[in-house]
Amino acid sequence: MFQKWIDKSMRKSPWIYHINAGSCNGCDIELVSVLTPRYDAERFGFHLTGTPRQADIVVVSGPITMQSVDRLIRTLAQVPEPKCVVSLGSCPRSGNVFKGSFAIAGPLEKYTHVDVSVGGCTPKPEAIVAGLAKAAEILEEKRREMRKHGGMAPSPAVAAAVEHEERAEFGTGDATAVRQGAEQEADA
Amino acid sequence: MQILIQLFHILVFPGLLFDVAMGVLLMGLNNKLVARMQNRVGPPILQPWYDFLKCCGKETIIPARAKRAVFLGSPYLGFVLLISVSMFIPFAGFIPVTMGSDLVVILYLLTFVSVCEILGAASSGSPFAGVGLSREMVAMISYELPFVLVILTVARAVGADQPSGAVFSLEGILAYQEMNGPLLFSPAAIPAAIAMLFVIPCETGMHPFDIAEAETEICEGMLAEYSGTPLAMYRLTHMVKVYTMSSLFVAMFLGNRFTGIVPVDILIGILLCIAVMFISAALPHAVCARLKVEQVFHFYWTVVTGFALAGLLLVWAGV
Repeated sequence: MFQKWIDKSMRKSPWIYHINAGSCNGCDIELVSVLTPRYDAERFGFHLTGTPRQADIVVVSGPITMQSVDRLIRTLAQVPEPKCVVSLGSCPRSGNVFKGSFAIAGPLEKYTHVDVSVGGCTPKPEAIVAGLAKAAEILEEKRREMRKHGGMAPSPAVAAAVEHEERAEFGTGDATAVRQGAEQEADA
Repeated sequence: MQILIQLFHILVFPGLLFDVAMGVLLMGLNNKLVARMQNRVGPPILQPWYDFLKCCGKETIIPARAKRAVFLGSPYLGFVLLISVSMFIPFAGFIPVTMGSDLVVILYLLTFVSVCEILGAASSGSPFAGVGLSREMVAMISYELPFVLVILTVARAVGADQPSGAVFSLEGILAYQEMNGPLLFSPAAIPAAIAMLFVIPCETGMHPFDIAEAETEICEGMLAEYSGTPLAMYRLTHMVKVYTMSSLFVAMFLGNRFTGIVPVDILIGILLCIAVMFISAALPHAVCARLKVEQVFHFYWTVVTGFALAGLLLVWAGV
């Protein structure tokens, strides 16, 4: 019973850690607006932590510059399981306007499994909230999987199960489509 | 039977379970009240409990440079010490443990709770934790002086006509307040009560005074390397500390037995704890941004110590 409580509270208290991998600060400002009084993600239990050790959801913004790739990998390795990786904006997905630059080492999928990808340049706060809520659900699923396969350490079976999991995507970079996606998510 | 009742007192009612429940309630209400004052919806009141459970379900990572035994042991030791502090603090007339000089024991044990946290941080081998623990020491130096002065004031106000000159036993303080009315209503004790209201948020590391855990500056400070169950224990310790400090305030300045009917007394006690938490923790949190290290030190050693000293002089002069 205690384990089931823990599973449920996984979704109710996801803590966010934000990595800026060479972002132009646009997505970062939108993420901050999600956490501040207007959108107030704290009402769903989201909380911005200062250290990767306490994080559940890692939000990556920016096109993964050559300078940041080493730090990105090291920071992601410090996050305890179960964890979710959310890519924020178009940059970690495709490189966006920086695509083809010699200074870019992206996309993010080359280095880690991406659970939720919120598109847009910059994504609307509604889309970010919807994406984070989806990530919180995936977090609960992952915790269930981990428990099924026993132990706290992630086994290869878990990694495979996670790998096959369908990746949720929001928005397409086009503002209206993003808003529609967010509204559909809100309706569902 | 006597042993069973004693065990019930220690483990369930004014003891462990009740402490945890009240800690969760006070912390959740604090978050909710701050959110409402900032025109937000705010997290559910059970949010601290969800946070605690979630942390229990996460992987516990022990850094390679950490001292394993101290790193894992100190959160639990700190929690046990804090629960034993709450054994000495009466609630609605129930005191699980009592001895001659409760207040001195409480003072020492509360210091040890902070020392446990400092030990854990020092053993984690993280430079952020190093900065955090040095800041926690500054905070301790800041609030300990007014705290000791407040305790001396209360002991003197209660024991002025006793042969010993001061009463450090909470049972004696309660008996005095039952006869003469709450200490808060005597003008000489009011400066001490104000100083105590300022001591509570710094002791519990609440927002404007949380220099040791400044998450935007030093990566959560002392908790920088903690994850999983030890982190959950630290979170729980912080919650229970809020309850312990506010119930200590209620016991020292307002008394315990208000009507003589136990359930009503319990309800009044809970409401008074919430009121103390609201005035001392939630209001400064909503109004004030985080202070700098030297601002905290300066504020506590001038304004708060001034209040505490004024209270002590008033009581000693017999006003």
